[in-house]
Amino acid sequence: METLVTLLLALPIAGFGATALVGRRLGRQAFWLPVGAIVTAWAVGMVVAFSALTGQPPFTGEHGQGFGFSLYRWIPAGDFTVDLGLYVDNLTAALLIVVCTVGMLVHVYSIGYMEHDPGYWRFFAYLNLFMFSMLLLVLADNFLVLFVAWELVGLCSYLLIGFWYKRRSAALAAKKAFIVNRVGDLGFSLGIFAVWTTVGTLNFQDAFRGLDQKIAAGALEPWMVTGIALLIFTGAVGKSAQFPLHVWLPDAMEGPTPVSALIHAATMVNAGVYMVARANPIFAQAPEAMVVVAGVGIFTAILAASIAFTQNDIKRVLAYSTLSQLGYMFAGLGVGAFTAAIFHLVTHGFFKGLLFLGSGSVIHAVHEEQDMRKMGGLARRIPWTYATMLVGSLAMAGIPPLAGFFSKDEILGSAFRNGFLVVWAVGFVVAGMSAFYMFRMMGLTFWGESRVDPHVAAKIHESPWSMRVPLVLLAAATVVIGALLGWPLEGGTIHAWLDPLFEPARELLGLEHEAFGGLDVALVLASVAMATLGLAGAVRLFGAGAGRFRWPARLADRDALVASVPGARFLYRASVNKWWFDDLYHLLFVVIGGRAGAALRWFDERIVDGSVNGIATVTVAAGRGLRVIQTGRVQNYAMGIALGLVALTLAYLAGLFR
Amino acid sequence: MSGSLDAYLLLAGALFSIGVFGFLARRNAIAMLMSIELMLNAVNLAIVTFGAFVPALTTHASVIALMVMAVAAGEATVGLAIVIAIFRNRRTPLVDEYDAMRE
Repeated sequence: METLVTLLLALPIAGFGATALVGRRLGRQAFWLPVGAIVTAWAVGMVVAFSALTGQPPFTGEHGQGFGFSLYRWIPAGDFTVDLGLYVDNLTAALLIVVCTVGMLVHVYSIGYMEHDPGYWRFFAYLNLFMFSMLLLVLADNFLVLFVAWELVGLCSYLLIGFWYKRRSAALAAKKAFIVNRVGDLGFSLGIFAVWTTVGTLNFQDAFRGLDQKIAAGALEPWMVTGIALLIFTGAVGKSAQFPLHVWLPDAMEGPTPVSALIHAATMVNAGVYMVARANPIFAQAPEAMVVVAGVGIFTAILAASIAFTQNDIKRVLAYSTLSQLGYMFAGLGVGAFTAAIFHLVTHGFFKGLLFLGSGSVIHAVHEEQDMRKMGGLARRIPWTYATMLVGSLAMAGIPPLAGFFSKDEILGSAFRNGFLVVWAVGFVVAGMSAFYMFRMMGLTFWGESRVDPHVAAKIHESPWSMRVPLVLLAAATVVIGALLGWPLEGGTIHAWLDPLFEPARELLGLEHEAFGGLDVALVLASVAMATLGLAGAVRLFGAGAGRFRWPARLADRDALVASVPGARFLYRASVNKWWFDDLYHLLFVVIGGRAGAALRWFDERIVDGSVNGIATVTVAAGRGLRVIQTGRVQNYAMGIALGLVALTLAYLAGLFR
Repeated sequence: MSGSLDAYLLLAGALFSIGVFGFLARRNAIAMLMSIELMLNAVNLAIVTFGAFVPALTTHASVIALMVMAVAAGEATVGLAIVIAIFRNRRTPLVDEYDAMRE
C-alpha cells in the first residue's frame, strides 16, 4: 500500500518533470506522457480508494481509522519534527475518487480542447503539477505538508488562470486570485502556528488528540479553540472563495475552460471544505466557530446565486453557481452535517466538472465566444453537449434522481433537524434560485432563436471525441453517483463510509442520528418543489422553442415581470454589478489602500530616509563650508593662532579664568 | 637693578607683537623665519626679566632661556632648510604661493 500511495504522487510529478523537459520538442504529441501518467494515477487512486473504503488490509475499516506512513523525516529540529507523512482514510478516499476521476477526464478532454494552442505542452505540464499538488493536499497527514500542497495548488491555479498571459485580463485575474488567496493563507498559517504552540505537534491525529486532552484538562480556554478554528477557517474561506474573499473565483474564469472545470469547480476550491472536514475535531470543540462557518457558507450561497441570475458570460454563471454550491458545503459543515457536506463535494465535483467541460464544448463550437447573448438555439447543432449539459443542469437544480438532489437535500435536511432554521430557509430559497439560473443559462445557450454571428453560425460543429467521451462519462457518473452513494437518504453508502469518521465530532456537538422520517420527506418534497418552481420559471422566461415544445418568445412578459416587482430594478442592478463587491474592494484596497500606501511611502521616503539623508546632507554642507578655511597658506593658519592668542589674552584680562 | 618690571615686559610684548605682525604680514619665507626669531627672543627677554626680578626664579629662568635659545637655533636651521628645499622646487620665496598643505 505504501508503494501505491507513493506511486500516486510520483506519477503526476514525473509526468510534470518529463513534459516540462521534453514537451516542447514533442509538439502536438506532448499529451501522451502527462495524460498517460494521470490515467495510470487514476487507476492507482481507484485501487487505493476502494481498498480504504472496503476495509482491505492494511485498512482496518473500523472507527474511521486510516492508514498512514512517513515517506521521510522532513524537519527534525529538536522537539519539533515534521514528517513528509501520508495518510489515507475514508475521507481521503472520497476526495481521491473526485480528484482522480475528474482530473483524468479533464486531461483527456484537454487533448482536444487545447489542440490549437501554442502552449500545448506547457498546459499539460501545469496540469500534471496541479494533480500532484492536489493529491499531496488530500494525502497529507499533517498541517505543514497540507499547507505546502495548499500553496502549490494556489501556484498552479495562478499559472493556469494566467495561462494566456499575453491577455491583460488573464494576467490581472491570475494576480487577483493569488493575492486574495494570500489573505486567507495568512489566517491559515496563523492557525497552524496556534496549533503548534498549543499542542506542540502538527500531525493531524496527534494534534486533534492533544487538543482534546488539553481541553479536557482545562488547560485551554474555549476562546482559544474558537480562535484556532476561525483562523483555520480563514484559509478555507480564501481557497474555497467564500464571502468576503469570493471575488477571485469569477475572474479566474479567464483561464482555459478545462482548468475552470478541474481547479475552479471540482478540486482545488473544494480544498477548503476538505480541510474543515479534516479538522472537524477542532471545530466540534468550538460551536461558535461552527456557527460562523454555517453563516458564511449560507450567505455566500445566496449572494452568489443572486449574482448568477444576471451574468451573461456562460462561464461566469457557472463560477457563481460554484461559489453558491461551495457555500452549501460550508453550511453543511457548519450545521454538523459533515458527511452530507463531503457528499455534496463529491457530487458537485462531478456535475460541475461536467457543466464546465460542457461550457467549454459550447465555447469551442461557437469559436471562443463566451457571451450567451451571442448564442441561442444550439441544442440541435451540438446535441451531445446539449444532452450532457442538460443532465448536469438537472443535477445542479436538484431534480431527483440525479446527483445534486441527494447531497443538497441532505444538507438542507440536516440544517433543519440540527436547529439551524435560518440556514435551512436561505438554503431552501437558494435551491430554487439555482434551478432558475441554471435553466436561464440553458435557455440562453441552447434554446430559442440563434443569436450567433452569421459568419460563425455556418461553422458550428460538435467537439471531437476526445472531448465528447469525458462529457458522456461525467454525465453517466452524475446520473448514478447520487443514488449509488446517497440512497436511501441519510443512510446511504456515503454514510457507511464517512459517518464513523465524524462520529466523535457529532457526539461532542450533541447531534444524534435520527431515522429518516415523515418530516424529512416533507422537506425533500418542499425543496424539489422549490427547484421545479425555479426551473419552470426559467423555462417559461428563457425557454422559447425548446425542441418540440415551442414557447412563444416572451421578452415582453419578462420585462413586464421585472417592472411589476417593487425593487426589482435595484436588485437587477445589484446582481449585474455583483453587489458592487469588486467596486467596494477597488475603493477600499486599490484607491484608499493605495493612498494610504502612498502616504506611508511618503513618510518612509521623506521622514525615515529623510532624517538619515538629512544628517548626511548637513555634514557634507558643513564640510563644504569649512573647506574655505583650509587655504593651505601658512599665514592664514598663523592668523588663526594669533587671533586665538589675542582672544585668550582678552579673556584673561576680562577675568574669565578667575 | 634699574627700571621696572613693566618696562621690560612692555619691551618684550612690543617685540613679540612686531614678530607676530611680521609673521602674518610678510610674504617672504625668510622674513617670516626672522619674525619667528623675533618672537622667540621676545619670550626669552620676558623669561630672563622674570628671572631677574623674582629671586626664586633666577636659576630656573637662565636654564629655560638657554633652552629656548637652543630650540630657536634648531628651529632656524630646520626652517631655513625647509624654505630652501621649497624654494628649489617652486622657484619662489613667497609663502602665499605655497598651498601644498591644502591637499
